Amino acid sequence: MFGIIVGTHGIFAQELLKSCEMICGEQKNVRAVTLIPGEGPDDVVKKYEAAIAELDCEGGVLFLNDLFGGSPYNAACRLVIGNENYGIVTGVNLPMLIEMCSAQMMDDGSDIMALMEKAVEAGKNGTQTFHASQISDDEEEDL
Amino acid sequence: MNIVLARIDDRLIHGQVATVWSKVTGCQRIIVCDDEVAKDTIRATLLKQVAPAGIKSHVVDLDKAIRVYENPKYENEKCLLLFTNPTSVLYLVEHGVDIKSVNIGGMSFKEGKHQITGAVSVDDKDIESFKKLNEKGIELEIRKVDTDKKVMLMDVLK
Repeated sequence: MFGIIVGTHGIFAQELLKSCEMICGEQKNVRAVTLIPGEGPDDVVKKYEAAIAELDCEGGVLFLNDLFGGSPYNAACRLVIGNENYGIVTGVNLPMLIEMCSAQMMDDGSDIMALMEKAVEAGKNGTQTFHASQISDDEEEDL
Repeated sequence: MNIVLARIDDRLIHGQVATVWSKVTGCQRIIVCDDEVAKDTIRATLLKQVAPAGIKSHVVDLDKAIRVYENPKYENEKCLLLFTNPTSVLYLVEHGVDIKSVNIGGMSFKEGKHQITGAVSVDDKDIESFKKLNEKGIELEIRKVDTDKKVMLMDVLK
């Protein structure tokens, strides 16, 4: 099992995890870490370490951060640089988190690089557009 | 037709269905079986837009659902059937559709319904249909997602 840590500016991480649980049910091996105004990267590093201590991280740790270059990301980098089983993906969104929770549940032994790639793909595919002009009446799709 | 899941969920295709159930069942098609929804062109069109990648979604009325079920062309297709209410399920069962278990995911609260669990509210007609399904030996289990513990509907109906 790998651990998932969602690290963001403000309580976005907590709420994102709650939203994810509305869809996937309770998640036991995921932690939300928040950077609140007045805190710095050092505080976040401590929170990450505390989260890692609580989680089953035998298969590594995947950090999902909100912003590339932001403090939650920078703090995660400090931990990731020293452990090859750790990885970061930025631009976290709900589709990405859901995909990683379901990957965690399947626990197929994917390494962290494969998981990171999967997270990126889910995050991108979760961004779609819809406009009235896109409706196609695909007759061949009828039963 | 291989019915991999028959689910009552009046939100039809939404997060839990699109991301969790479609994956765990490995279904090839999601078929919404409902007379009202099939008549509502806008709702039907929108439902077809939200099928998860690689899965076809359809909206049919109940008689069409029975014809599709009987069509040998779809004999080996893994289908996830979605309903908004148990009366529709009963109609299919009474017309020979072999459903052994019904998953109840969500029936929203409306005037005249009473809430039996957080996600499930029923009225007298629903209860009547559930009782008939139960008498036929069909399992009626309440679960939002597959990892939830099954709660038997007949136990909470009492």
